[in-house]
Amino acid sequence: MEQIQTGKTKRKSVSYAKWGYIFIAPFFIAYIVFTLVPQFLTIYNSFFETYRVGLQQIGPNFVGFDNYKALFTPDSQGTILILKYAANTMILWIMGAVPQFVIAMLLALFFTSYRLNIKGQGFFKTVIYMPNLIMAAAFSMLFYTLFSRVGPIQALLEGWGVIDHTFDFFAIRISVRSMIALMNFLMWFGNTTIVLMAGIMGIDQALFESATIDGANSVQVFFRVTLPLLMPIFVYCLITAMIGGIQMFDVPQVLSKGDGVPNGTTRTLVMYLNGYLKTKNLGMSGAISVIMFIITGGLGAIVYKMLSAQYKEPKKHRDRGRNVQ
Amino acid sequence: MKKLVAILMAALMLVGIVACTAKPAEKPADQPADQPADQPVAEQPAAQGKVFNIYAWNEEFKGFFEKYYTVPEGITVNWIITPSDNGAYQQKLDEALLNQANAKDDDKIDMFLAEADYIGKYVDSDYTMDISKIGFTNAPTQYEYTIKAASDVNGVCKGVSFQCCPAAVIYRKSIAKDVLGTDDPAEVQAAMDTWEKFDAVAAQAKEKGYLMTASFAETFRAFSNNCTMPWVDANNNLQFDPQITKWIDQTDNYIKNGYTLTAGVWDAEKTNEMFKTGKTMCFFGPAWYYNFCMTNAMDPEQGCVGDWCIVKGPQAYFWGGTWLLAATGSDNTEMLKDIFETFTVNEDVCTKLVANEGQFPNNTNVVDKFANDPTWGNTMILDGQNDTAVFAELAKDIKWENHTNYDQILNEGLQNKLQEYFNGSVDKDTAMKNFYQLIKETYPNIVLPEA
Repeated sequence: MEQIQTGKTKRKSVSYAKWGYIFIAPFFIAYIVFTLVPQFLTIYNSFFETYRVGLQQIGPNFVGFDNYKALFTPDSQGTILILKYAANTMILWIMGAVPQFVIAMLLALFFTSYRLNIKGQGFFKTVIYMPNLIMAAAFSMLFYTLFSRVGPIQALLEGWGVIDHTFDFFAIRISVRSMIALMNFLMWFGNTTIVLMAGIMGIDQALFESATIDGANSVQVFFRVTLPLLMPIFVYCLITAMIGGIQMFDVPQVLSKGDGVPNGTTRTLVMYLNGYLKTKNLGMSGAISVIMFIITGGLGAIVYKMLSAQYKEPKKHRDRGRNVQ
Repeated sequence: MKKLVAILMAALMLVGIVACTAKPAEKPADQPADQPADQPVAEQPAAQGKVFNIYAWNEEFKGFFEKYYTVPEGITVNWIITPSDNGAYQQKLDEALLNQANAKDDDKIDMFLAEADYIGKYVDSDYTMDISKIGFTNAPTQYEYTIKAASDVNGVCKGVSFQCCPAAVIYRKSIAKDVLGTDDPAEVQAAMDTWEKFDAVAAQAKEKGYLMTASFAETFRAFSNNCTMPWVDANNNLQFDPQITKWIDQTDNYIKNGYTLTAGVWDAEKTNEMFKTGKTMCFFGPAWYYNFCMTNAMDPEQGCVGDWCIVKGPQAYFWGGTWLLAATGSDNTEMLKDIFETFTVNEDVCTKLVANEGQFPNNTNVVDKFANDPTWGNTMILDGQNDTAVFAELAKDIKWENHTNYDQILNEGLQNKLQEYFNGSVDKDTAMKNFYQLIKETYPNIVLPEA
């Protein structure tokens, strides 16, 4: 760069800074038009009573915080539904995310290990990523068909005498929740594996080697070397997965035919929101969106704070180590 | 070289931006362009569009349309089919109707299909048009209730129905023989002409190892279409008709005693009961039920064609029906009129609907012809019984009353929420609470009894 500039003085007048702005402009324009403006509109709409009865539009009438009040008013049995659905969402996400991260981490370690040197990695990577390529709705439909009252699993288990014909997978909370968690796990562990692998491969191999030479076993290498250095990528994965989890919709919606069976225990926040959208109730669904936005922001901040604080710690250790040398 | 690359990249990005921002701008840009294009059309009032758009929720009518209606040359028929699950059909239709005024002529809805449960919503709006304006006059051969259903509060008719839907009890002859000792329609009818007798037969069937019905909601329409008051009164209060309460009590009893299954009316678990191996004695349905729900019974290998007969059952009722409504703004009014005539007054087509499709048409002349024909019998699924004669009797009693525009969500919502009670996942109070919650979410204007 220096050479060019000194060689041809004319080029000195070209400001490269503006190109940077031009290159990033498309994202910001798209973001403002398709995300930021609708976001503000959502917040705005949440203060109005606006819905349709048939083809007739009711409102919009300004109602202040009434929509939020309605959301937090307990029903006749004392349940605050939005809290129930928020809890459902978190439970469903955690049930799927824990195995997702454990398995993805293990696979990422296996695939990147210079000792194991697994052959046919391309094949395995493709296979574990495969479930993510299926549409969630189709995947859900597949599970619904498999476990339905007239499906093959029911027939098989009945044949073995494990269950009787009145058994219904969709009438039991834990079975429906497990199905949703399993589907989310299957769909996303491949994706997480690939990202974590990329993260691990970004770590200098020499560090692993020197740790091994210093006598660290593989568990120690993982916890003392890999994990701390992987933390930024891991936190990124966790936060994006959590945001995806809070917005969980298609899998439970299709599996439970939109009802969140049994008794709304698999109904997620977005399914709740979607229920209001049936009659274009932008006020109530806007209020739910705002609450979800706050939850997402809050949880994101907590996770980031917690984990980033941890990974700063070992960094000091490493620096100290160097100083000693 | 580097500069050239940079300029190229920037140009590429710009193309990206323009492409991105041009899209949303496209729609409003089209509208003003559309209006001048409208004018030449307005100058020639007889000009007809080239594309005929039909919105529907399944393929049933499409099949009849393609078989029995000859589309005028040069016109393309465009079917937009959205399943009605979870109200998806109405959502899509509503969006299209609300946008009707801004849509291009060829994208405008010309005709759409509506069911008994929500027809009022469209008929009572400006989105459907007076069919007398397009030159169609309702014929005296059409059933009165089908006209009333398609008419708004002022009596202006907005569409026609191609079928009349009196419904009956469709029973398995072999099972009736085993349970009642007879499979003769008159004797079977005598054995179950009240709900009390029907319940008694259910107990008898259970003793012999049979089921009376195969779905907890099988008898729902027999009760709900006999309601004496609408779901929602003039002040938007939700009200439970005694018929609905009676259905809940009956079903409660049937589930507890094992007379029926916890499957929904459309579920495979229920329709599997129509195979030869099925153990269920009675199904409830009108003539469209044969083609639409009973294909398992007509299966060449596992089915049981000829083992079925129909009777009135404990309570006459009707179920469903598909109305063809004329959409305001249609530019194919001649074809609309033509379609309406084909499926109502055209006796040739109506005759074919009965003879080939087992339907019950909206044409009393054709119905009478079949009902009085001693050689006519339904062998498509029944044992050769003249079902048209039975349905014709039942059709005389159908009245169109106590309907609201909320019926679909309320009827289906009640069934769905109570299904969880019947299959044992929740108690009755919770199921009812969930039903109220559904109403609250969907129609906040309805006043609930608990509130």
